[in-house]
Amino acid sequence: MSNVYLQDFQRGLIREIPIFRLLLGMCPVLAVTTYLTNGIGMGLAATAVLICSNLVISALRNYFPAQVRIPCFIVVIATFVTMVDMMMEAFVPALYERLGIFIPLIVVNCIILGRAEAFAGKRPVLRSLVDGLGNGLGFIVALIVLALVRETIGAGTILGPDPETAIRLFGDNYQPMLIFALPPGAFIALGLLLGMVNYIYKRLNIK
Amino acid sequence: MREIIRLALTLFMIGLTSAALLTGVNNWTGPIIEERRKSDYLETIASYFPDVESFETKAEENGDSFDLIYDSAGNLLGVMGTILQGGYGGVITYNLAVDTEGIILGLRIISHSETPGIGDVITRESFLAQFIGKSHEDPLQPGEDVDLVSGATESTGSIIGSVRRSVGHIATSYLDFQAEIFDITVVPDGTFQGVAAGGQGDIVVEVVVEGGRLVEIKVLEQKETPTMFVLSYPIIPERMIAEQKLEVDVSTGATASAEGIVNAVRNALEKAIEEGEGEQR
Repeated sequence: MSNVYLQDFQRGLIREIPIFRLLLGMCPVLAVTTYLTNGIGMGLAATAVLICSNLVISALRNYFPAQVRIPCFIVVIATFVTMVDMMMEAFVPALYERLGIFIPLIVVNCIILGRAEAFAGKRPVLRSLVDGLGNGLGFIVALIVLALVRETIGAGTILGPDPETAIRLFGDNYQPMLIFALPPGAFIALGLLLGMVNYIYKRLNIK
Repeated sequence: MREIIRLALTLFMIGLTSAALLTGVNNWTGPIIEERRKSDYLETIASYFPDVESFETKAEENGDSFDLIYDSAGNLLGVMGTILQGGYGGVITYNLAVDTEGIILGLRIISHSETPGIGDVITRESFLAQFIGKSHEDPLQPGEDVDLVSGATESTGSIIGSVRRSVGHIATSYLDFQAEIFDITVVPDGTFQGVAAGGQGDIVVEVVVEGGRLVEIKVLEQKETPTMFVLSYPIIPERMIAEQKLEVDVSTGATASAEGIVNAVRNALEKAIEEGEGEQR
């Protein structure tokens, strides 16, 4: 029995990690990973929405008429996103300002709608919860890896841009490679990471 | 039919539940957000005016607002502007603190969407510090007493221009400084040409003066963005002729072009006065 949950969990985290294996939810990933703090904040926000929406959608799955299930999913997701949006503005204003438009845009994050349609809409509550946890963690891991690469090279810091937490890796005279902080650098870094992940998965024979 | 009603009802119920939940969360977080914004702003004011006790907000039509800052005895300490300015990537919002002498105490960028790593130099201390101590009488022109940042000319230039206009506006509108008025009556009759920089290169104007009055203002040459230029021409010349002064309201949505036209007219009239004096000698 626990084997099922373990499988649900590791599917999102390893085998079908959404960013690196399914290439889902790319827009916020490319946009906010200029700093590690932004990446982690975005990951946590999206994961909270994913877990909540998976739970509710799975619990109510028998009440959603098949013809209008997608609008139902979207309303549920949008409700949680708006809640997260308001709470972030109230309690973590600095992060809220930096993530800006990408918080409301979690509504259209393909990972969340994808999990609702492919998993939570058909399966019991507990399994959906585990699935949400796994996929959310997978999303956070991918964001952290990408943000680490981009922030180190593109800004020369870790945990910036707030000067109180920022660790300057290469001293004050380091001239950062700006392109990694800009959109083209996001694509380049993601492309290189995808290549690496594919290579590792092939070597370890994970399918 | 029954099927359609069932679907509609289901969606309606879901929407209703969602709205109810969101109302609840909003009632909870709304006051916290409001409170935080207010205390943030008071802190900003206090960092420039430590004796602040109260302030009075004057909102203007173009979205800017100016707060008159008072101490506990009711004396005016200065003015804090919250100013919106178009930059390279979108609207830049910033605070500008000016004391009662019309001297800039400091400015702080609140929000912007300039290019990360390029245009966001406007938030750097080294760029913002150059304004401190400048007054409404200083030229505040790039290259004269303040510096642009190369590579971010648009972003830094728009801030410099906006600070120049705003500090002048604060001085004349809220601090009772008399605006310097160009005396048109001393200009000899004739037709004069003048030139000044607009938003995209030089603007050349021709001004006709008769009996110390502006009669006609024509733009002869300009390279402005057409969609922007129509916002300030012919409205700005019309304003100058109607009010018979150069110090007209230049907030048109294309402020750089509007200022360019005004400066070109000023240039023409200044040259006319110089030439007139030369002839008399």
